[in-house]
Amino acid sequence: MTGAQAPGALARLRQTLEKNEYYQHDNAPLKLGLTRAETLLGGGLARRALHEISPQAPIHLGAACGFALALAALAGKDTGRDTLLIQTEIARFEAGAPYGIGLDLFGLPARRLLVLRARRTIDALFAMEEALKCRALASVIAELPDDKADLTATRRLSLAARTHDGIGLLLRQRSTSIPSAAMTRWEVAATAGPRDAYGGAGTTSFLLSLVKNRRGPCGRFRVAWSHHELAFVEADPVVVAAPVADRPADAAIA
Amino acid sequence: MWLRRLPTDRLTRRSPELAGQPLAVVATIRSARQITALNDEAARLGLRATMGLADARAMYPQLVAIDADDDADAATLNHIADWCDRYTPLVGLDPPDGLFLDISGCAHLFGGEDGLRRDLIRRLAAHGFHARAVIADTPGCAWALARYGVSSSFADDETTSRSAPPPERGRSTREARRVGVNMPSFTQPPSPTLPLSGGGSEQRALLPLPLAALRIDPDIAAPLAQTGLKTIGDVIDLPRAPLAARFGQDFVRRIDQAFGREDEPIVPRLPVPSFLVEQRFAEPIGREEDVLGTILHLAHELARAMERHGKGARRLQVALFRTDGKVVRIEIGTSEPMRDPARIQRLFLDRLAVLGDEADPGFGFDVIRLSALAVESFEAVQTGLAGGDPAREIAHLIDRLMARFGAERVQRLVPQDTHLPELASIAVPANTARSRTETAPHAAAQEALFQDSRIPTRPIRLFERPEPVEAIAQVPDGPPVQFKWRHVTHDVAYAEGPESIAMQWWRTDQGLPVTRDYFRIETRQGARVWLYREGIYQDRDNPPHWFLHGIFA
Repeated sequence: MTGAQAPGALARLRQTLEKNEYYQHDNAPLKLGLTRAETLLGGGLARRALHEISPQAPIHLGAACGFALALAALAGKDTGRDTLLIQTEIARFEAGAPYGIGLDLFGLPARRLLVLRARRTIDALFAMEEALKCRALASVIAELPDDKADLTATRRLSLAARTHDGIGLLLRQRSTSIPSAAMTRWEVAATAGPRDAYGGAGTTSFLLSLVKNRRGPCGRFRVAWSHHELAFVEADPVVVAAPVADRPADAAIA
Repeated sequence: MWLRRLPTDRLTRRSPELAGQPLAVVATIRSARQITALNDEAARLGLRATMGLADARAMYPQLVAIDADDDADAATLNHIADWCDRYTPLVGLDPPDGLFLDISGCAHLFGGEDGLRRDLIRRLAAHGFHARAVIADTPGCAWALARYGVSSSFADDETTSRSAPPPERGRSTREARRVGVNMPSFTQPPSPTLPLSGGGSEQRALLPLPLAALRIDPDIAAPLAQTGLKTIGDVIDLPRAPLAARFGQDFVRRIDQAFGREDEPIVPRLPVPSFLVEQRFAEPIGREEDVLGTILHLAHELARAMERHGKGARRLQVALFRTDGKVVRIEIGTSEPMRDPARIQRLFLDRLAVLGDEADPGFGFDVIRLSALAVESFEAVQTGLAGGDPAREIAHLIDRLMARFGAERVQRLVPQDTHLPELASIAVPANTARSRTETAPHAAAQEALFQDSRIPTRPIRLFERPEPVEAIAQVPDGPPVQFKWRHVTHDVAYAEGPESIAMQWWRTDQGLPVTRDYFRIETRQGARVWLYREGIYQDRDNPPHWFLHGIFA
């Protein structure tokens, strides 16, 4: 092999090796199907990172759980890997136990879900750290009822998430403003979705507020989750000014 | 092995001030207080085990009498049996005060059979127990010689004095290597006449012993004495059929067991492991890093042994023998057979982290043993270039979480074929979920629940106990218009339903079957919940109850 041909051969060899690997390392962010949100996030929900989700009010706890599940469903859809849900005992009293049939109907197959009932928050955080280092999981959701996951804990979880390309989701049952090392922070509220023509209930819809974003500005979106297609659908976009840098001097609000 | 003073030794260990005094253990038998056990000092004074306490006290007023406690004695015997595990894993209980140890293949580790016996008696004496141990070919022979054998005196605890005939040593006829192989079952070559070749000396030692040494039924002891048969030598040459007819088949069986013509298996107290490796320390260790390092080293050896047989372990146990006699056992289970030493050590690290005080080393551990209690066949699999298989990695993560948090906390959700919502999907431990049907698990339920509606028909979260709510609804069976849950009132914007689900047939409410009417409720703020009403509205004094069973996304 001459020197000029070597780089090409090396690239071909790399390609062959990558095809044989069990783990297709996917560094691309998780596509949400929402163009505006993806622009703000820099292409999609970042992998190798920790994200926080909390409800806007206690009654919206179900919506927050649903949003976390939807993200996990998207993460596991292409790769077929499992999801781990870690719940403390108090969180289980607050929000209920995951229901297999409901999960299947929502879009996350129950046979790809592992559930860990932790006794205390410390146990849940430890388990999440260990699970994030396991590369065979697509995502790890930890549901905590309190504020014990502070800056130190979230920093450890972020570092653990960086080892492999899974997604870590920290589901707080009470929204809080304590500082955290997560990449993004979402507040979720349930909202009435578009109804069908026969008067039935509307599609599952969320009002998402991106309140913290390391890669760009924040924003609010109203989205609907289609459990038949396993995708988010943008619903009546709320008008929001474009980011300052890209805004032309005399553009109308887009 | 016979612990000849077990009750009094136990009491003396507890209260050392009783050591030099005559001590008797008494129990109420047939409404009379009788002595059931004594210590050596009391025996030297001439007291015996079936004497009445009043008589004994009359003779020796300074006798100390304490009530019998059979449970404590049994617990002590169990602890000693646990401790004897360091010599051999096959330890059988012989209540109330004896133990059987099968030492085939173990004796060479202690410098021969006699070395083992002396070590055993010496260590037990250091702990305060008087014992007599005899090594023989059959359990029956050993039992007889231990209890009724000729010996110099009761002070037989240390190495025997020169004047007494040493307890006979039998050849162990079973070959089994200590590391690596299952112990094969006992086989004794049957012999029609006496004496047997080899080991004959112990057979001869049996002959002068009284018949009670054969563990015979007390009912036939008196008739035997009446016919003039007093020692084993008397019965050994008699024809067997008349003996069996007159004194029962059991009697003949006991003779055969003692002489090895019939097998008597020792029932082990704990399951005998298939593979075990152990490490003995001249100086006891106590630090956790040292213990884990030893476990890693033992796991390497165990892996080599299992690999030769193509096996992987499903259940592993580490037994830590403390110098003060206590044995700490730590067990882990895995979802798949494995023998990777690093992973084994990791699982024990996780388990030790939660054990805390239970694995307290005390003055240190002097023996550490790693055994594989359950093995399955496991061939080495050629891994690809990438290395690592997702299913195995998940299995290993599950094992580690189970070792850390307990096996019932790591779960998978499996469907059940029932229409009751709370049983339609149950959580089972993750390592058993593989055996249940996994293919398209909830599809059947999905078909039944498919609705051309925009929201799923079942909630994503279900409360284990449905939470009671106060609801205002149209009579008699309309959907609610307002409900109060967790002290917050919500207005209902929209309700889908009712979906009637009948409860189990044996639950009735005044003769009518109990049904629940489920509604999918959307509140004015947009939140969605799953409410049900139990019963129907019959009259003003008996309103039906409303519950919140689950929440939707």
